[in-house]
Amino acid sequence: MTLLARRRRGRDRGGRFLVPAVILLGLTSVYPTLYSLYMSLYDWNWGHRLNFVGLRNYLDLLTDTRFLGAMWNTIVFTAGAVSVELVLGLGTALVVGRLGLGRGLVRTLLLVPLMVGGMIVSVIWKVMLDPTLGVIGLVLQAAGLPRLGFLGDPHMAMLSVVMIDAWWQTAFVFIVLSAGLQALPVEPFEAAEVDGAGAWQRFRYLTLPLLRPTILVVLMFRTVDCLKVFAIIFGTTGGGPMTITESVQVLAYRMAFKQLNMSVSMTTMVVFAAFALLVLLAYQRLLPSGEEPA
Amino acid sequence: MRRRRLTPASMVAYAIAAIATLLSLFPLYWLFVISTKVPRDAFKSPPDLLYVPDFSKYVQIWKTAGFADAYISSILVVLLGVAVALVVATPAAYALVRFRVRGGKWFRLWLLLAYTTPEFLFVIPMYVLYQQFGLYDTVIGLVIVYQVFAIPFAVWLIQAFLGEVPRELGDSARVDGATELQTLLRVYLPLAAPGLAATAILVGVNMWNEVTIALSLTFDQARTVQVAVAGFRGYAAIRWQEMAAAAVTAVVPMIVFAGIAQRYIVRGLTFGAVK
Repeated sequence: MTLLARRRRGRDRGGRFLVPAVILLGLTSVYPTLYSLYMSLYDWNWGHRLNFVGLRNYLDLLTDTRFLGAMWNTIVFTAGAVSVELVLGLGTALVVGRLGLGRGLVRTLLLVPLMVGGMIVSVIWKVMLDPTLGVIGLVLQAAGLPRLGFLGDPHMAMLSVVMIDAWWQTAFVFIVLSAGLQALPVEPFEAAEVDGAGAWQRFRYLTLPLLRPTILVVLMFRTVDCLKVFAIIFGTTGGGPMTITESVQVLAYRMAFKQLNMSVSMTTMVVFAAFALLVLLAYQRLLPSGEEPA
Repeated sequence: MRRRRLTPASMVAYAIAAIATLLSLFPLYWLFVISTKVPRDAFKSPPDLLYVPDFSKYVQIWKTAGFADAYISSILVVLLGVAVALVVATPAAYALVRFRVRGGKWFRLWLLLAYTTPEFLFVIPMYVLYQQFGLYDTVIGLVIVYQVFAIPFAVWLIQAFLGEVPRELGDSARVDGATELQTLLRVYLPLAAPGLAATAILVGVNMWNEVTIALSLTFDQARTVQVAVAGFRGYAAIRWQEMAAAAVTAVVPMIVFAGIAQRYIVRGLTFGAVK
């Protein structure tokens, strides 16, 4: 990227405006990535011995059941959370778009969870879902249902963190799709109504195809964000029970900061970031070209 | 959308909207309730719906070692971090809007990658480097690392706001002999000022709420509020009520900001995704 500065022609004065951003982004993203790549070839554990091991860390990782489990957990979490958020967010956007009076207020109130940090989200749901103290348990009991273990129950822990993420991030899907719906042209819908198309047909054959680019952008951002999941798992289950909800980032944190397996943790993140990059590029290919993400 | 009368369909829509709103807000309300009940009533079954709020836990957490310090750290990180992000992102966004920058396509892709890459790819090596350079557990250290997500986000938003300024205004300033920098400062910035304010707020909220990086790169000196909240889990037992009070203290300023800037937040979140 330093080429930007060098290659600028006489008339292209834009390059120098990018220099500060290029330097800071280089320092915070490219440099650490190169450092990770380099250290992933060693067996460094914060000790004095430092041996070059070539690709052994990578080979070990591919047969490490803990890592493969964390990959699987992360993919399950992402698939679950993204689908739930898409369905709920699209549904809410369609419904709220139909409201007359009070639409603005509802929209504002629905955005509130997005303003809450991941650690606070964990605190909220740890309190609410606690098997003995939590209000949700009280409600279930009052309704004559058994109290559930939620985050502590091996069968429910993953579902619980998926639902926590849905509470937190559905509003993002909702707000972007709301804007997308508002930007849709009116004429095709009027024509369809004249032609006698029902509500479902209009949704299936007009709304969905017209909204496709917006849906893809939302899915892309939610998917890569869910792959990164850390705070809401670290703060609620810590990856447990056993390692049932352990995501790759939670595992990498443990490797680096608890076990001080620096080289192994960096190898893990190199592999995982490459995977996330492939997912991102796959989405980019689906998007109409020239589209600006954000 | 045409106006509709109160048909059965719209009544259903209102009912669904009401439920969605309730589900969104109840957990936050409950967090507040837990933090303001006296200990013996906090987890009583069935819970008292009407009670006299008791704010003693809030007083208590401010006296707890380090919570006030964490609050100050967070404020410093946000102020400095937002300032750096805006100063760096604004010229970059300006260049992308006004010129055909060579390699601009690659720069845009880089922004997307920096923003979306899982944190620990950067954070683990940064931890090592920061230990060496004395930046571990410092406000400055966090301010620098946070640029990895703040710059891309700020560039996207500012780009959209600058793009709304009519090109001709900039062109005529250039004809009158202004340099590009002067054009940016005197023509574009005043017109895009509300957009920059919105960008500052959104970037600030992101930084305030960040915890993954802060947890890894701070210990006790530059610990942020989010990390301090996690600290109430303790080793022996979770101090639920203190933790709830701390969490409320961390959330309320963000909700106030969101209230002030709500119109821009909606625009900020949806920019570019919809065209």
